[in-house]
Amino acid sequence: MADLPVSTAGLRKVYGGSTALEGLDLEVRPGEVVGLLGANGAGKTTTVKILLGLVAATAGEASLFGRGVGDPEARRQVGYLPEHFRFPDWLTGAELLDYHGRLAGMPAAERRGRIPEVLERVGLAGRGNQRLRSYSKGMTQRVGLAQAVFAHPRLVLLDEPTSALDPIGRREVRDLIRDLREDGVAVLLNSHLLGEVELVCDRVAIVDRGRVVRAGRLDTMVGAGTQIRVRLDRVDERALALLGGFGEVVAVDDTTVVLTAEGSDPAAEVAAELVRAGYGLQALIPVHRSLEDIFVGLVSGSAG
Amino acid sequence: MSALPITRLSVKEAVSRRLLLAGVLLSLAFLVLFALGFNALYSRASEAGQGETALAGGIMTILGLYIVQFLIAFLALFLATGAVSSEVDSGTLHAILARPLSRRSWLGQRWLAFAGTIAVYAVLMAGILLMIARVIAGYGAVAPLRAISLLVLEGLVLLSLGFLGSTLWSTLANGAVAFSLFGMAWLAGIIEFAGEMVGNDLMRNIGIAVSLLVPSDALWRGAAYYLQSPAFLAVSAVDDAGGAGPFGGSAPPSAALIGWSIAYVVLLLAVAARRFAHRDL
Repeated sequence: MADLPVSTAGLRKVYGGSTALEGLDLEVRPGEVVGLLGANGAGKTTTVKILLGLVAATAGEASLFGRGVGDPEARRQVGYLPEHFRFPDWLTGAELLDYHGRLAGMPAAERRGRIPEVLERVGLAGRGNQRLRSYSKGMTQRVGLAQAVFAHPRLVLLDEPTSALDPIGRREVRDLIRDLREDGVAVLLNSHLLGEVELVCDRVAIVDRGRVVRAGRLDTMVGAGTQIRVRLDRVDERALALLGGFGEVVAVDDTTVVLTAEGSDPAAEVAAELVRAGYGLQALIPVHRSLEDIFVGLVSGSAG
Repeated sequence: MSALPITRLSVKEAVSRRLLLAGVLLSLAFLVLFALGFNALYSRASEAGQGETALAGGIMTILGLYIVQFLIAFLALFLATGAVSSEVDSGTLHAILARPLSRRSWLGQRWLAFAGTIAVYAVLMAGILLMIARVIAGYGAVAPLRAISLLVLEGLVLLSLGFLGSTLWSTLANGAVAFSLFGMAWLAGIIEFAGEMVGNDLMRNIGIAVSLLVPSDALWRGAAYYLQSPAFLAVSAVDDAGGAGPFGGSAPPSAALIGWSIAYVVLLLAVAARRFAHRDL
């Protein structure tokens, strides 16, 4: 427990009068890719900044590899790509990487060898001697990623890493994240792009107004709680009570009931029960919920 | 070689800024202009007699260094005003502080880089100017090393003042505050001088109080005293005003002034580090 790459408990942050985090609990285990999913302003960036000691939590606890986030040593094995990555633009790409390697305590010889390796990995091979001010937006994002993975981190924090990239760039970032996972590196990925998270994350924590409203493995979260849409000749109290026995009724009108059913596939049972009770069953459609449905269902009401 | 990475980068940054390159060229232009002007004026004064040459050489040298003092002060203030705030605003600091580096260390290393830049600039400018005066007029200051040390200390006082402001306010607001304080210290120096002349205690005390708040001008006056030549001291002692008038110094700096200035630098940096350590970025 103590040495988890990321561990927070009851993290709370109040900026002036407004609450950014309201008791956030989060864990990231080694070799795990966790997506922190939420609308803009949900508290994702604040969470990452607290983990890096850039922002002080109002209350609660946070640690990296078992060290409190107030200790600079906690960041020894961490790579970070800020949402808006900025850098001294008079440096070249290679100089930037060398500088970050030095800050991370890498010896000079190791840095020299690592620079071309990492530049190649992020698709910037041969661009290392170009000044950063001449880089395009996409190249900037790539060199930011290179900087984050440069010093062999065991935890990488990525804040909206694909926001400036085209579809090919996004795919490359996903590949990079998968490579990191294979090497046993933990990744915390902040994103509001659901598809992005769905494609690459092992676990997802959905954040809304400063708390985790749902967290779990992506496969169980998306698979569990299958929705069934039932159309009947009539909908009355008895039908609702009957359907209520299978799960939670989430929507009702004159002829249609939508319920979230537990279990793997209750559709057949639901159909049999309804017919036995004398209802005219017109349609029964299992609806596989996507992450987006879950997300929208949980985060409803908060403006983007 | 991995020691003080922030210092190395900050020096590189100061050097790579075009502003500084322009500053170096202008500084060189100033030195050339000074040499030409000094030469012209000195040759005219030497026709007038011995006392006149000592006076002309002294006044020219001290006024030349007075300009150098302004250049040092401006360099210090320009480097300092955005030293922290511009890094925070631009967002370049976030990725750097995400490394295993404490904020105190970052701040200290950055200060060291700028302090070194200022010291090198002050030593070169004042040294070259004194050399010019020596070659043309055989002018020798009473204690050039002490004078230059005081100029460096003045630069460090202003640097630290700007650093503290840079952890508190935006670059623009801090620039306005720091330059105003520097201007105020300059004005108070003149008020204090006038107070000495007319024997007005209130004016004297205003000068002393402001010197406590911002000791930059008092340090310049101390430096100016040491910049006089023995011959110049002898001539100017005949005048009541003493020294080089309202812009110079008529007495060596007190130990209290030097002690306070050093404590001032340490104190301001300590407060800046404390403020910065607890700030959300």
